[in-house]
Amino acid sequence: MLSASKHEESRTHPGRSVLVMKLVAAAVALGLVLAFPALAPDPFILSVGVVIASYAALAVAWNFVGGLTGYISLGHAAYSGLGGYGTALLITEAGVNPWVSMVVAAVLVGLAAVPIGIASLRVRGASFVIVSIALVLILLLVAQSWADVTGGSNGLRVPRPFGTDVLRPEQHERFFYLFVALTLVALVLWWVIDRSRLGTGLKAIREDEDKAQALGVPTFAYKLVVFVVSAFMTAMAGGMYALWFGSLDPIFQFSILTGSYLVLMSLLGGVRSLLGPVVGAVIVGYAVEFFKNQYGDTQLHLVALGLLLALVVLFMPDGVIPWLTAQFDRFRPGDTSIREVDAAQLAEERKALEEAKS
Amino acid sequence: MSGPLLLQSLILGLLLGGLYALLAAGLTLYFGVMRVVMIAHSAFLILAAYLAWFFTTQTGLDPLLSLIITVPLFFAAGYGMQRALLSRLRPATLTMMSVLLTFAIALIIEGGLGYLFSGTQRRIQLGYSSASLELWGARIAVVKLVAFGLAAISLLALYLLLKKTRFGQALRATIQHREAAQLLGIDTDRIAGFGFGLGLATAAVGGTALALDATIYPSLHWHWIGPLMAIIVIGGLGSIPGAAVAAMVLGVTQSLLQIPMGTTWAQTVFYLALFATLMFRPQGFFGGRLAQRF
Repeated sequence: MLSASKHEESRTHPGRSVLVMKLVAAAVALGLVLAFPALAPDPFILSVGVVIASYAALAVAWNFVGGLTGYISLGHAAYSGLGGYGTALLITEAGVNPWVSMVVAAVLVGLAAVPIGIASLRVRGASFVIVSIALVLILLLVAQSWADVTGGSNGLRVPRPFGTDVLRPEQHERFFYLFVALTLVALVLWWVIDRSRLGTGLKAIREDEDKAQALGVPTFAYKLVVFVVSAFMTAMAGGMYALWFGSLDPIFQFSILTGSYLVLMSLLGGVRSLLGPVVGAVIVGYAVEFFKNQYGDTQLHLVALGLLLALVVLFMPDGVIPWLTAQFDRFRPGDTSIREVDAAQLAEERKALEEAKS
Repeated sequence: MSGPLLLQSLILGLLLGGLYALLAAGLTLYFGVMRVVMIAHSAFLILAAYLAWFFTTQTGLDPLLSLIITVPLFFAAGYGMQRALLSRLRPATLTMMSVLLTFAIALIIEGGLGYLFSGTQRRIQLGYSSASLELWGARIAVVKLVAFGLAAISLLALYLLLKKTRFGQALRATIQHREAAQLLGIDTDRIAGFGFGLGLATAAVGGTALALDATIYPSLHWHWIGPLMAIIVIGGLGSIPGAAVAAMVLGVTQSLLQIPMGTTWAQTVFYLALFATLMFRPQGFFGGRLAQRF
């Protein structure tokens, strides 16, 4: 019995210490993130930080569908753009409070995602991707042509949610914290879904949809639920971005490029892990801003993005975190299937089981 | 609405539909061979158009002659792309990852074109650019007829190649059942590469046809990929006749709708048809068992 308890302890102990280490690391990371506005040397760096934080919120929102079900959407810019336009129109046309507008717009986008989801989730992968691209293209057409409502190619101006006495750097700082908060909410929601029955069903769909269906997982309903959640969170981030940026240009709002950034971020970080999209958002967001700064006038930033995406898809489709873990594991003792109990212990366990039964 | 105007729209729609049909046939080939949705197809289309434009401005010869270079070049590029890149992807996640990989290729092409030739709009000036034919009051530009002729001949050649040759049989066998084709002694890997090359060759022909009468710029491919994707889904993924019929019907519908709605809104017909198809007939109108699972 003594040896059994020791055996038990040796199994749980490293688990606990890993958990503590993870919590400490998360606390340090969060502390660094929260201290960023104070550490940023100038408002420009701070604004880059806000952009990256908004990417993190969008990437986590994307990962509800991409990570849990394995359905890759290239068109999530549709929902962020709709969230932004909805927020702007509710403020300017209906005179609603900016923050209420943001939430209402996101709810409306979530509702609009129901028929879109029904159309695109009926069939497997390829058609889903095609619909996601088509949706962005159609919304771009509408936003550019329906000038009476959307302002056409000139775009829309979004009134600032804070008074005029709040200066630009102060604005950046507030929005940075708001985006971090939104990202945290999305992460908690993802974590909860990941550990729920819904999450298990979704991951079963990701691994083998036919088997999942055969085992009685309501595949269509599960996919639709998580699709709507993802659209809602994306629209929240899009609306917040509109409030921060202050103006909407259809070309950038309904851009397949923005959607592809989200995919690249999540893939690079690792779609199966909670923090993967955030890590990816920091790397890719920084790289995108860097490329735009460096090759702003030319189209080379597209080439750089394309090469990066191709390399990730070809060489680390599971993401950088699993890839690094695999590299570290090379130097650790290999996994074995040897059971660390001897025959006597096994016999004892069996006997106890038999007694319990009888 | 006057009769000649209607007739003109109808003819222009049919001519446009021919080009759509050729390009959609290429997309269908990739899908049939590898279950790959090739986002970069329209980027290669624009690349071929740029090559035709560059060829004409450099040599002063007719852009149609650039086909002698671009078709073999694109065939080789397609073969190389399939063998070196797409076949490396894991089978389990092939559909999704191939979308991303071809999307990355599209971005590289768009960025490269923008870098080399700048974002300026380009157009080929030809002796017969402004020539047109009159047919019962409808005016049809000669270049559009040439473009349609090119597309129609290529489509016919593709059809004959697939139906009448041993290679075509092997390719169709590979599309229908890969393992069975292997058992019969077909080298399916090589055939799949050739299938990809053929698909890309349609983009070379289509691009040259496009360059004859359209203004081109690097980001133009986004305007093509949406309608083409819609066409192959509506026709039923994997079905070449389905793609051709859907291309013709949608091309004519788009052209007719342009009269009351204007060019921009008329484009939405592709997306509306796509959504309607997925809602009520997800496997498309000519797709079989294969289409339903994708």
